Amino acid sequence: MASDRTPLSDRDAAAEWVARMDSCNWTGADEFALQEWLAADPRRQGLLLQTQAAWLLPDAVREPEPVEAPAPANDTRGKWMRRGVLGGMVAASAAAFITVRTGFSRDAEFVTRVGEIRRVPLDDGSIMTINSGSELKVSLSERAREIQLLQGEAWFDVAKDAQRPFIVASGPVRARAVGTAFSVRKREEGVEVLVTEGVVETWSDQDASRRLTIVAGERAMIKERTLVHYREGDNTPVDRALAWRNGMIDLNGTTLREAADEFNRYNQRQIVIADPGLAGEQFDGLFKLDDPMGFAQTLKVALPVAINTSDPSAIRIERASEADTQK
Amino acid sequence: MEDGTGPDLRATLERRRALAQWVAREIMPHEPRIRAWFVKRRIAHDVVDELVQDAYCRVVMLETVDHIECAHAYFFSICRNLLARRLKRQQIAPFDAISEIESYRDTGTPTPEEQVATRMASERVRTLLAGLPERCRRIVELRKIEGWSQREIADHLGITEKAVEKQVWVGVRAIRSGWDALDREPEAAGDSRRVV
Repeated sequence: MASDRTPLSDRDAAAEWVARMDSCNWTGADEFALQEWLAADPRRQGLLLQTQAAWLLPDAVREPEPVEAPAPANDTRGKWMRRGVLGGMVAASAAAFITVRTGFSRDAEFVTRVGEIRRVPLDDGSIMTINSGSELKVSLSERAREIQLLQGEAWFDVAKDAQRPFIVASGPVRARAVGTAFSVRKREEGVEVLVTEGVVETWSDQDASRRLTIVAGERAMIKERTLVHYREGDNTPVDRALAWRNGMIDLNGTTLREAADEFNRYNQRQIVIADPGLAGEQFDGLFKLDDPMGFAQTLKVALPVAINTSDPSAIRIERASEADTQK
Repeated sequence: MEDGTGPDLRATLERRRALAQWVAREIMPHEPRIRAWFVKRRIAHDVVDELVQDAYCRVVMLETVDHIECAHAYFFSICRNLLARRLKRQQIAPFDAISEIESYRDTGTPTPEEQVATRMASERVRTLLAGLPERCRRIVELRKIEGWSQREIADHLGITEKAVEKQVWVGVRAIRSGWDALDREPEAAGDSRRVV
């Protein structure tokens, strides 16, 4: 019944007014027309406010500081603090980006917090999607486009420009593309390169004569002196590994330990496997990466486990006792 | 000024924008919770939509919002009052339903849900933005995340300002309707594929 009184066209019209007000071209005539439109139905005032507020919502809910104070112990703490000093991730990176655009200093740095995933359009038309807890430096010059991955993972959709190769460096490892899409992830055991489109050439600075060519659907793990090439039969494993771009974690025969590591990359609240006997259990499933609790609850259905949430910074997965199973 | 926006006009726009900003910051993140409260009491989604919209009409009428300390609680009470009036007028609601709605009092202590409302809203918004069509998303992100003006975006992409405005329009619509629609979906768990 609401739809009778507020036909779709009114909602569309409200959105149109909001888009126009957002432009640089609002005129007296526009204001006059808007007043007329508003006067025709008293409900439109509320509709316009609601619509404009929706448009301003992304700015309004951007968090200047983490809501949850307790950061996990150990070494991430130091990084967290350091990032805090950068002063609001988004603000800092937006500022950095503008320097790239306007001029002399063409270097920009991007940092994402735990749980934050950002898409950043670059000046050359490429787009990078930065995964949780990552740190990158971007340097665009006349001759080359260079990205340094200091930490974490990012996926690059590279704009074609044969004059300026696009090179991602992580430690000694290099991945070079002209126009393609691929991701680079810094892991403890080496650097992983996944190609979703086109061709990427990769090597280690330690031995630049040995190079690997990776094509779409393939991945490679590059260490200082070894290159391991995985030729997957189909494209799905690569797509699966990049599910984070859509805010998901895709598990397929993944062990509980690996799954917990994945979730812990994105969340302050860490999954702890209290019983090592459970760590090797394997899983399938598609989960929201910011919902470790949801994942833990699902585990309960499949395994004889109990979830202990008494510690607000952790979700402990324990073997269920007799009492739990009866409950 | 090349854009021809005079000082009065600018002030009007700014006032309107400031109010919307206040709503976006103080009220909208709590909207899902407020809506859920009504839905739980078996009020139809359409009716809740109307209540919320009518409540926003009331907010527009406020001369100033400076005196409002807890905006979402205030907004919630406007919605409840509007509903109580409506139920009385219709004379079909059972008496105790009306009285529960009228007599409900916020405790004043923020619930955990209230405390994380902004964070949850920010995640929802991220999901909404991610779901926009590619071209639209690019423009909305430049506008919202990088803070470029529509004109700068037009110059950068080599398209007309009208074309940018059109994409912003698509973006506004999508965020608006996406925000409403999210409340109608069952909660998060519905998305998890079951473990084998």
